[in-house]
Amino acid sequence: MARRVAIVGVGQTLHEEYKNDRLYWELDYDAAKLALEDAALDKGQIDTVIASGWDAVDGRTISDMHTCMAIGGYLKDSSHVGEDGIMALAYAYLRIVSGQFDTVLVAGHGHREASFDRVSNAVFDPLFTRPVGANHITSLAMQASVYAHRYGVGQEAAAEVVVKNRANGARNPYAHLQTPVTTDEVLNSGWVASPLHALDCPPESVGGVAMILATEEGAKRITDKLVWIKGISWAIESYYLGAKDLSQMPSLAAAGQRAYGMAGIKRPLEELDVAEIHEPTSFHELMAYEALGLAEAGQGRRLMEEGIVGREGKLPVNLSGGCLSTNLLGASGLVRAAEAVLQLRGEAHGRQAAGAKLALAHGFSSPCGAASPTNCVVILERG
Amino acid sequence: MGRRVAIVGVGLTKCSSHRRDVTYPELMHEAVGNALADANIGFDQIDAVVYGSMDPFDGVFAPERWNVDACVSAGFLNKPFMKITTGGTTGGSTALGGYYHVGSGMFDVVLAVASQRVGETLEAQLVLNTAIDPIYERWIGGGAITVAANQAVHHFHYYGTTEEDLAMVAAKNYANALNNPYAHLQRHLTVEDALRSRMLSWPLRLSDCCPSSDGACAIILASEERARKITKTPAWVRGAGQITDNYNVGDRLWFHDWDSLAMLARRVYKQAKISDPMAEIQVAEPYVAFTVQEIIEYEALGFAEPGRGVELIRKGVTAMDGKLPVCPSGGTLCSNPIGATGLVRVAEAALQVMDKADKRQVPNVKTALAHSWGAAIGFHTMMILDKEAP
Repeated sequence: MARRVAIVGVGQTLHEEYKNDRLYWELDYDAAKLALEDAALDKGQIDTVIASGWDAVDGRTISDMHTCMAIGGYLKDSSHVGEDGIMALAYAYLRIVSGQFDTVLVAGHGHREASFDRVSNAVFDPLFTRPVGANHITSLAMQASVYAHRYGVGQEAAAEVVVKNRANGARNPYAHLQTPVTTDEVLNSGWVASPLHALDCPPESVGGVAMILATEEGAKRITDKLVWIKGISWAIESYYLGAKDLSQMPSLAAAGQRAYGMAGIKRPLEELDVAEIHEPTSFHELMAYEALGLAEAGQGRRLMEEGIVGREGKLPVNLSGGCLSTNLLGASGLVRAAEAVLQLRGEAHGRQAAGAKLALAHGFSSPCGAASPTNCVVILERG
Repeated sequence: MGRRVAIVGVGLTKCSSHRRDVTYPELMHEAVGNALADANIGFDQIDAVVYGSMDPFDGVFAPERWNVDACVSAGFLNKPFMKITTGGTTGGSTALGGYYHVGSGMFDVVLAVASQRVGETLEAQLVLNTAIDPIYERWIGGGAITVAANQAVHHFHYYGTTEEDLAMVAAKNYANALNNPYAHLQRHLTVEDALRSRMLSWPLRLSDCCPSSDGACAIILASEERARKITKTPAWVRGAGQITDNYNVGDRLWFHDWDSLAMLARRVYKQAKISDPMAEIQVAEPYVAFTVQEIIEYEALGFAEPGRGVELIRKGVTAMDGKLPVCPSGGTLCSNPIGATGLVRVAEAALQVMDKADKRQVPNVKTALAHSWGAAIGFHTMMILDKEAP
């Protein structure tokens, strides 16, 4: 690759249940301002901005009319991805590597102005699946059910993921939910859609996140705390739930393999120091371990049982608390990348992994759960 | 740009007010299949896909998901796929997304596709109204046509443009669309017919306004090495870019000039090393959703001085037999599948450069310009295509 790309600034707001004093693009504004302060840059030093999110969720046609302006895009060459913010990061990377731009700011937000359940139902085809009530959570429940059945993964194993992530979230002052939970509490939290209990599903959080990317030359001028993008890839999978093996996440596996290849990673479990995985449900974190080559098919729960992905384990996963503690619908993937950057800079405070040098961040960009998600994998290295 | 990028294949679909003959994925398959056939390559050669549509006009949210199998083929999934939405410029932004995909060196052959089924929408202007701030501007009925009417009123006031001038733009573009089998509106329209058509938002009449269409478009972009293998007639990207202006319509100081487009044009011409656009460009496909915009675009794109754009239409300079034919396809005025329209402009410019535009072909095209605008006249994209590699 011709140019190396570094992340030179990150910003995130506190993630909360409500922010009644903020419109959705003000969340992008707050996060962008924090990222600019973090990098000690003025918005005039940013060449291009990439906003993210889904218009139908924002309740606003052409939502980037507001978000692009809010993050400093006025009269700039700016764009918008109708995806999770992690894909804005991917597009920003392409724009820098192409040689056309030197500094890019990307941002995303999550809010609760729309019912994601209702909106995601409208992603399903109007003839066959929409009328039966398919939406992001029911499709994810179907996937979890197929996975659990095929590999004999019990609800308790998934509940342990919730316990781990919520305990981690309790150490993250930015997290939406900062209270630990027990296995019993998860299993008794009531059904959402079998096999998912309420606590197996992420909350809906309100907040913003932003990141600044720069070329090698520019990055070295901007900061000493460099974090390099060593590998990045993304992939989409088939839409029809009935036309694929739901026990696997093939698009995540494909993106992971390509990102590892770019970064020269051959044994991810040995080489990675920390990972932030976008888990749309507790079961999906176990599935992601397998798709990312950290465990054999069906063996994801062993990483939990052996403490490998725990806070003191060989590869701590979701030290931030993950989506199960904070879930910006439309930017949770970008939060994962921001948290990974903080880990590599040694600035994750109470949730810091000791001596993290190589990190993986994963974003699950899907308006419709298990139906054609885009999975993006980013490998980050401390400079 | 790190490396040269060319368009090597183009696929269009017939546009109409409602393509009831196909489902949404079938419409996509039509565009993608045509582009692959044009480039004579298979799905297996596509490294990545960039998809554009403006969801709120479709009656289905995130239609790229429903259509993903039609874009990448069921056997070739798990490929990189990126969705871009930027209002009316979505198609132009999608082409730019493909340009950066290839330019980055990460991908060699990229499919850029865009689609819209405005026929699924009860009323496109009501959807557009939801783009406008709910507290300050939505209640006055803001949308595309009201903003364009503002542009017309200002252009009339400052530069003396008349309703007859607008009617001449309509008559020219309608006549051009008769040569384009993909165009939505294909009927003869005289200046007199136009002046008699129904008033929608003064001074814009029905014939001054684009229809709302169902349609899709696909282009294939490739690196230099692959482009030369795929086709003998690549359309090279010589310059490209986009710009975002402020949000509140009421904050704009101007309507008669299009300052943000003029600014973008300066940037793109600089990249393309174009100093005299009128002399160096042989055909243009600007985004003319409303007739008055073609005249304002002549000025912003440097084809005429501010206030002198009307002379080009009055003297026939931009007619098919003129010095610089504009909208030989009939343009957006005759087909507007909103999220796909910007990509159709790029596709039409590419066809002209590749000498594949059939009955609407302009002779001796070396350099062509494509443009789109969107977001209550706040966004623009531009792309300059050329027979010769930059």
